[in-house]
Amino acid sequence: MNAVMDPVEHYRALVDAATPLLPGAHLAWLVEQRERGLEHFLANGFPTRKQEAWRYTGLERVLEEAWLPQAEAVVNLAADDLSRLWLAPKAGARLVFVNGRWMPALSTPVDAVPAGVQLGGLREALEEEPDQLSAWLGGAAHIEASAFTALNSALLDDGAWLQIAADRRLPAPIEILYLSLGQDRAAIHPRNLLVLEEGAQATVIEHYASLDEAPSFTNAVTEVMVGDGARLEHTRLQDESPSARHMSSVFVRQAGDSAYHATHVSLGGVWSRSEYHNRLQCERANCEIDGLYVSGERRLADVHVAIEHAVPACSSRQRFKGIVLGSGRAVFDGLIRVQPDAQKTDAHLSNDNLLLSRDAEVDTKPQLEIYADDVKCSHGTTVGQLDPAQLFYLRSRGIGLGEARRMLCLGFATEVLDGCSVEGFADRVGERLRQHLEASPLIRVNEE
Amino acid sequence: MSSNSSEVSALIRREYEQGFVTDIPTESLPPGLDEQVVRAISAKKSEPDWLLEWRLEAFRYWSQQREPQWAAVHHAPIDYQAISYYSAPKSRPGPKSLDEVDPKLLETYEKLGIPLAEQKMLAGVAVDAVFDSVSVATTFKEKLAEAGVIFSSISEAVREHPELVRQHLGSVVSYRDNFFASLNAAVFSDGTFVYIPKGVRCPMELSTYFRINSANTGQFERTLIVADEASYVSYLEGCTAPMRDENQLHAAVVELVALEDARIKYSTVQNWYPGDEQGRGGIYNFVTKRGECRGARSHISWTQVETGSAITWKYPSCILRGDDSVGEFYSVAVTRGRQQADTGTKMIHMGRNTRSTIVSKGISAGQGSNAYRGLVRMTPKAENARNHTQCDSLLIGDRCAAHTFPYIEVRNPTAKVEHEATTSKIGDDQLFYCRSRGLSEENAVSMIVNGFCKEVFKELPMEFAAEAQKLLSVSLEGAVG
Repeated sequence: MNAVMDPVEHYRALVDAATPLLPGAHLAWLVEQRERGLEHFLANGFPTRKQEAWRYTGLERVLEEAWLPQAEAVVNLAADDLSRLWLAPKAGARLVFVNGRWMPALSTPVDAVPAGVQLGGLREALEEEPDQLSAWLGGAAHIEASAFTALNSALLDDGAWLQIAADRRLPAPIEILYLSLGQDRAAIHPRNLLVLEEGAQATVIEHYASLDEAPSFTNAVTEVMVGDGARLEHTRLQDESPSARHMSSVFVRQAGDSAYHATHVSLGGVWSRSEYHNRLQCERANCEIDGLYVSGERRLADVHVAIEHAVPACSSRQRFKGIVLGSGRAVFDGLIRVQPDAQKTDAHLSNDNLLLSRDAEVDTKPQLEIYADDVKCSHGTTVGQLDPAQLFYLRSRGIGLGEARRMLCLGFATEVLDGCSVEGFADRVGERLRQHLEASPLIRVNEE
Repeated sequence: MSSNSSEVSALIRREYEQGFVTDIPTESLPPGLDEQVVRAISAKKSEPDWLLEWRLEAFRYWSQQREPQWAAVHHAPIDYQAISYYSAPKSRPGPKSLDEVDPKLLETYEKLGIPLAEQKMLAGVAVDAVFDSVSVATTFKEKLAEAGVIFSSISEAVREHPELVRQHLGSVVSYRDNFFASLNAAVFSDGTFVYIPKGVRCPMELSTYFRINSANTGQFERTLIVADEASYVSYLEGCTAPMRDENQLHAAVVELVALEDARIKYSTVQNWYPGDEQGRGGIYNFVTKRGECRGARSHISWTQVETGSAITWKYPSCILRGDDSVGEFYSVAVTRGRQQADTGTKMIHMGRNTRSTIVSKGISAGQGSNAYRGLVRMTPKAENARNHTQCDSLLIGDRCAAHTFPYIEVRNPTAKVEHEATTSKIGDDQLFYCRSRGLSEENAVSMIVNGFCKEVFKELPMEFAAEAQKLLSVSLEGAVG
C-alpha cells in the first residue's frame, strides 16, 4: 500500500494530470464548472468526522490508497462475457462503461436505440454536440454537497448521457452497466446525466459491478432532471467486489406533477456511501425512494438521503432497510426538509435495521426539518433482530437454523425489492443477497 | 379561520404574567470573569480549598473552550465579560424561619403563587426557594431531618456534609463536559443538594423555585441529588423570571445519582421570561442535566414542561450503568413569538436489560422554533436493552419551525430500538368534530393540545400538572392556524 501523505495534494496532482485529457476544453461553461469544482475541493479538502454529515463515516479506507488517474482500460471483453451481468433481460437499450469510459462496441448501437431517445457517452457528446448539454449539465449537482461531488466536477469526463424527448414513453428499461477494473488502481469518476422532458416516461437501471477482486475506487455523480409530468423509474444496484470503495451521489430535480421512484440496493464494497439529494421544486411532484443496504465483515455501508420540499403540495416517501452481518457497520441518515410555505407537504421516512451479529453496528439518524405548518411528516426507525417466534415456527417445520435465518432476512428485503418494476430484478438481487448471507456466519443471537 | 385571528394574535401577544421586578438591594460582584472572580465567589461562600481548586480548574478549562455552535438556535454573541457572576439579596445571614425572611421577598413568592406558609400545611411540599443565587428560606427541615434526608442549599451542604458533596459533585457532569458545564463549575453560586439515605422514601415532594431577579446577573445553579440504595425521591423544579430587556444567561447543571434500587423522579416546569414579540430580552437557558443510574435496578425519570425562555438548550440525560436500570424522559416544549428550543435527551445504555422511554411533544406557534435532538446509544454490553422513542410536533402558524434530530447508535445484537416521529398541525377534522359538539374554537384547540400533551402531563406530580396545563393554555389557547 502506498500510504498517501497529503490526500488533497494527491488529488490535486490527479486533476492536474487529467485536465489536458478531458473533453470539451474549448467550452467556457464546462471549464468554469471544472474550475469551481477544483476550487471548492482545494478550499475545503476531504470531510472529517467533525462534520455532521460524516460523523459516522471515516474516509480512511478511501484515502489509504494512492489511486491513479482514470485511463483507457485495457480489457478484452466480448458482449457474451457480460450476459451474466444483465439485470433486465428485456432491456430496450444498453450502455457499458469500463473504468468510467464508454464502450460503444459493447453497447447498443446508436441506430438501434428507440426513437426519441438520445443515449451515449458524455465524453463523445461533449466533443460533438456540446450545445445540447450546456442547458443541463451541472444543473442539478451542487458542487458544495461534498468533496466527492466537487472532485467529480473537477474531473468531469465521461459517463452516461440520456435524454428522452417530450411525451416519449419507453416500454422497456434502459440498462447502464459500470464495470471497474481494480488492477488499474484508477479513481473512476463517472458523471451521468439523465434528462426526461415533459411527459416522458422511462425506466433506467444503473448497475455498478467489478471485473476483479482488486481494490477499486468509484466516485459517481448522477444528475437527473424530471420534466413536467414525466416519470422516471430509477433502479440502482451497487454490487462491486468486497474490496471496492464506492461513492455515489444522485441529484434529482423534479418539475411539476413529475414522479421519481428509485430502488436503491447496496450490496458490495468494503466502503460504500450513497447520497441522494432530491429537490421537489414544482407543485405536485412525487418522490419515492426504496432502499436496501447490506453490510458484512469489516465493511461499511452508508446511505444519506436528503429530500427537500421547496414548494407546496409535493409528496415524498423514503423506505430503507438494512441488514448488518459479521463485523459490518451500517449508517443511515435520512432528512426531510420542508421549506417555508411548502404547505400541504406529505413526507414520510422509514428505516428498519436487522442487526445480526455481536460485532456489528448500526448508526441511524432520521431527521425532520420543517418550516411550514400545514404538513404531514413522519419518520420511524427500528433496530432489532429476527423474531424468535418466526424462527421457531420455521424450525418446527424442519428448516435448519441457518436456512431459517436466511429466509427471514430475504423476506425482510423483499418489501424493498418487490417495489421495483423491473422484471426479474427482485429475483436477481435476492439471489445475490442469498450469496452474501451464505458467505457470512450468522451468529447465534437471541435464540432461546 | 380569519374570524379568529384577532383573538389568536391577542393571545399570542399576551404579556408575560410573572413579569415584575422586586426592588431589593442586592450585593453583586462587578461584571467580568477571571480567576479573581472565581476566588471571590468561593471566598464569599467560605468554601474549602478542594472546591476552590475544582472551580479554578474548571475556569482554566473553560477559558480554552469555544462556545458550541451545533444547536439549531440563533442568538447574538454572548459577552461573558459583561455578566455579573454573583448576586445575593441583602438579608440577615442564615434565616432560621420564615419570620426572619425579608417580607418583600415573601411577597414576591406570593405573587408567583408560592404561598410558603400555606404549602406547608396543605400540600406537604418543602420549598427551598432560591432568590437569585442564595437560599433564603428552607422549610420542613426538621421533618426531613427525622427521615435522615438532607435537603439544603449546596453551599450549606459543602459546609455541613463536605464528604458527601466532594464524593459526588462533578461525578456525573464533569467540569470538562461542555462549555456551559465548565462555566457553571467555575462560578456556580448556589443550588440545591439532596441526599436520601438507604431505604428511605422521602416523606414529601421536594421543590425549589428558582427566580432570576437582578438584571445582568447570569444564574449558575448547581443541583446535586444523591439517592442511596433503595431510596425514593420526587423533586420538583419550577421557575419564573421578571421582565427584563437584556438577555440573561442561565447555565445550570443538575446531577442525579441513583444507587442500587433507588428511584429519582425529577420534574420541571420552566416558565422564564421569553422575550418580547421582536425577540428582545428573554432568558438564555443553557442547561446540562444528567442522571446516572449507577446501581442495579435504579430508575431515573425526567419530566419537563418548557414554556419559557428565549432560548432553551437542554438535554436531560440518563446513563444507564446498572443492570436492569430504567431511564425515562417526558417532555413538552412550547415555543411561540420568537422563542427557540433545542431540547431532547440522551439515553446511554451500558448495563444489561436496561430500558428507556422517550416521549417528546413539541408545540411551535407564531415564529417559534422547536427542535428535538436526542441520542440513544446501545453499547456492546447492553444485553437485551430496549428503547422506545416517540417524538411528536404540533405546528400552529405558517412561520414556525419544528425539527427532529434523533441519533441512534446500536452496537449490541440483542438490543431493540424503536423511534417514531410525526409532525402535523391540528387537524381540521378534529376541530370540526369538537365544534360540532358545541365547543368554541378556543376550547377545542385547548382540548386538542392538552390531549396531545397528556402522555407527558400524567407523569407530573399533582401539584405541577395543574400549573403546566395553565401555562399551556396561556401560551396557546385559540391559536389556530
